[in-house]
Amino acid sequence: MSSSVSGKWCSDTNCHSRLVHRPLAGLAGPVALVRLVSLMALVSLVVLVGGCGASAPLPGDREVGFTPPEPVGVSVLTGPPTTTTGAPTPDCDPTASLRPDGPLPPPGQMPAGSTMASIVASGRLRVGVDQNTYLFGFRDSFSGELEGFDVDIARQVAAALFGDPSKIQFVTLTSTQRIPALQQNQVDIVVRTMTVTCERWKDVDFSTVYYQAGQRVLVHRDSGYTDLDSLAGKRVCSAAGSTSLRNLANAPSKPVPVAVRDWTDCLVMLQQGQVDAVSTDDTILVGMAAQDPNTVVRGPRFTDEPYGIAVAKGREDLVRFVNAVLERIRLDGTWAGLYQHWLTELGSAPAPPGARYLP
Amino acid sequence: MVVSAPRRPSVRLAAITAAARTTPGRYGVILAVLLVLCTAFGVASAVRLHARSDALHDLVTSSEPLAVAAQDTYRALSDADATAASAFLEGGVEPQEVRRRYENDIAQAGSALAAAASAATTSEQAGRSVARLTTYLPVYTGLVEQARANNRHGVPLGAAYLREASGLMQSVLLPAARELYQSETARLAGTQESATPLPLVEVLLGVLAVAALVAAQVYLRRRTNRVLNIGLLAATAASVLVLLWVVVVAVDVALNVGQARDRGSAQVQQLATARIAALEARGDETLTLVARGAGAEYEKQYAEISERLGGADGRSGALGRARDSIEDPAVRALVQDAVDRQQVWRAAHAEIRRLDDSGAYNEAVAVAIGPQANGAAAAFTGLDDSLGKAIGLSRQRFDAEVGSARAALSWSVAGAVLLTVLAAAGAVWGMWQRLKEYR
Repeated sequence: MSSSVSGKWCSDTNCHSRLVHRPLAGLAGPVALVRLVSLMALVSLVVLVGGCGASAPLPGDREVGFTPPEPVGVSVLTGPPTTTTGAPTPDCDPTASLRPDGPLPPPGQMPAGSTMASIVASGRLRVGVDQNTYLFGFRDSFSGELEGFDVDIARQVAAALFGDPSKIQFVTLTSTQRIPALQQNQVDIVVRTMTVTCERWKDVDFSTVYYQAGQRVLVHRDSGYTDLDSLAGKRVCSAAGSTSLRNLANAPSKPVPVAVRDWTDCLVMLQQGQVDAVSTDDTILVGMAAQDPNTVVRGPRFTDEPYGIAVAKGREDLVRFVNAVLERIRLDGTWAGLYQHWLTELGSAPAPPGARYLP
Repeated sequence: MVVSAPRRPSVRLAAITAAARTTPGRYGVILAVLLVLCTAFGVASAVRLHARSDALHDLVTSSEPLAVAAQDTYRALSDADATAASAFLEGGVEPQEVRRRYENDIAQAGSALAAAASAATTSEQAGRSVARLTTYLPVYTGLVEQARANNRHGVPLGAAYLREASGLMQSVLLPAARELYQSETARLAGTQESATPLPLVEVLLGVLAVAALVAAQVYLRRRTNRVLNIGLLAATAASVLVLLWVVVVAVDVALNVGQARDRGSAQVQQLATARIAALEARGDETLTLVARGAGAEYEKQYAEISERLGGADGRSGALGRARDSIEDPAVRALVQDAVDRQQVWRAAHAEIRRLDDSGAYNEAVAVAIGPQANGAAAAFTGLDDSLGKAIGLSRQRFDAEVGSARAALSWSVAGAVLLTVLAAAGAVWGMWQRLKEYR
C-alpha cells in the first residue's frame, strides 16, 4: 500500500519485482502536478480568449438623439437686440438727406478730387447688396446674375458714373454686415432694403428715400394667424441686425423673435415648421410668398420702413451725387419702370417717394 | 473518519517525498518537471502564435479595411459638400457630371458607412459616430434635393436650403466622420501592436525547458555513465527548434508589420490627410465665390489649408513631406504629379481672386469651375485622382506585407504543438529507458 511498508520486507538487491509499482507511486504526485498545470494553462487560455469578447452594447441598444437641422446661425432672442452704440439716439428726420450739387456731370467726367472720380479711376463701383431677397436682391439661378429692384437701382448709379450699368463689383452682405462693410471701405454704397433710422445715421449717411416699405407678417395660408397680435407667444422669424427684429422684440403682443442671417432662412424655417410666422417689410415678404404659394402676407403695415442708399461717413459728395441720380430716375420714369418690372405683386405702381432734403 | 479525512493529502505528500528520495523516485520527479516545462512551453508558444495570427487576420480583414472605410466616408462626405456648392455656382440646372459626382459621393459614403458599421459592434465611440452618420445622412440628402428643386424654379430659396444642408454637413456629419476616422485609425495602430508583442513568456519557458533537459542529461550521465540519452537529446533538439522558430517568427512578423505600417497604412494615412485637406480647400474656394464678396472667412481658411497642403512655396507641406518620405517609385511619381497639380491650382486660385476682387465675378467663376485644363476644377480633380491612386497602391503594399507576415505564421501553431509533443514524448521515452532498469 505504501512504499515505507514495502521497504521493510525487501532487500536492496532483489526487490525489482516489488519496485515495479514504485515509479508509478512516485509518479502519482507529478501526474497530479501536470494535471494542475494543464488546468491552469487551460484556464489562462480561456481568460485570454474570453478577454477578446468583452461585452459591447448591441447596435440596436444605442439611442441617437435627433435634432432637426436649422439654418446656420439661428438664435432665439430673449430681450430686445442691443444697439450699436448704446447711447440714446437724438430725435431727427431720418428721411432728410443732402441736396444734390446741381445737375449730374456727364458719365466718366467726375469733378477732379471727388469720391466719384476715384471710383471711376478704380474701374468699378463696389456695391453691397443682398443675394437672398427675392425681387429686391437675389441671384437668378438660371443666369447666375444678381437681379432685383435694389440691384437695378445700383446699376443706375453705376450707369451715371461710368455710362455702363455693368461696371459693378457686387459684394453680398447680410443685414448685420451692412454698416461694417461701409466703415471698413469694402463697398462704396449699400443698396439692400436698408431702412433709414436716426440710429444708423450716427454710423453712415443715407440718400433720399427711394422706396417706402412697412412691416407685416407672412404666415401659412391655413394657419389662422391674421396679424402680429394673433402671434402672441409664437415664434416669429426676422433677420439679425434688421429694424424688423427690433420691432418684433418691442411688439406689445410679445411674440418670440427668432433671428437668422439671411431673409430666405426665415422661409426655410417657416416651411420646416420651426417658426409660426415671418415678419419684416412687406417688400421682402411678398418675395417669399412668391416662392411658396402656401404662404400669404397678412395684417396691416404696422411700421414705416423708408429705404435709403447708405454711404460711409465723410463722403458727402457721393451722397449728393446719388441723390441727383435718384432725383433723375424719379422724374424720367425709370423708377416707375423698375417698379413695374419687379414689384407688381405689391399692387400697382405708386408715385415714387418724394425727396426730402436737410435745410 | 470525520477526523482523518482532511489528513489524507498530508499522508499522500509524505508518501511522495519518501518516494522521491529513492533513485527511481527521483527519476520520476525529473520526468514530471520535464513534462510540465515542455507542456507549458508548448501551450504558451501555441497560444501566443495563435494570437499573433489572429491579430494579423484582424489587421487585413477588419482593422485596415475599416480604417479605410472610415476615411472613405469622410472623403466622400467632404466631396459631396464641395460638389453641392459648385453645383450652386453652375446655376439652376447643374451639368450632368457635377450631379453624377455628387450622387457617386453619396453612394460611396453610404456603402463605406455600411462597412464601417461593423466596427460599431466592437467600439462604443465608433458606434456613436456611425449612428449619427446614418441618422443624418438621409436628412442631408433630403435638404440637398429640396435645394435642387427650388433652384430649378430660379428662386433664392434653393440657396437657403443648400446653406442649411452645408451647415448640417459641417456641424454634424463631418465631425462624426472625423471621429470615426480617428477611432478606426487608432484601432488599426492597436492591432498592429498586438500582432508584434515581444515573445517574452514563450522564450522564457523555452529556455527553462531546454535548460531542464540539458540538466537532466548531465545528471543522468553522472548517475549512469551513459553518455547519450537519445530520447532526451531528441526532446532537447525539438525544444530548441520550437524556441528558434518562435523567435524567428516574432522577428519576421514584426519586420513585415513594420513595413506594412511604414509603406502601407502610415503612408495611406499621410496621403488621405492630404487628400482631405485638398477637398476642404476646394470647398472653401467654391464657398468664397458662393458667398460673393462676403467670403473672406472662407478665403482665409483656403489659404491656411493650402499652405498646410503645399507649404508656402506649394512644394513642401503635407504633399512635399509625403513625396520625400515615400520610397516606392510608383507612389512617389503619383505624389509628384499631385504636387505639380497643386502648383497649377494655386496659380488658378490666384487668378480667381484677382478676377473676383476686380469685379469680374463671372470670369472668376469660369476659372473656378470651367473645364479648361489650367482651371481650378481640372487641377483639383487631377490632384484628387493622383492621391486616390497613390492610396490604392499603398494599400496593396500593406496587404502584401501583412500577407507575407501571415505566410510566416502559417503552420506555426501546428508545428509548435507537434514539436513540443515530440519533445515531451522524447523526455518520457528517455527517462523510461532509465526507469526500466529498476524493474
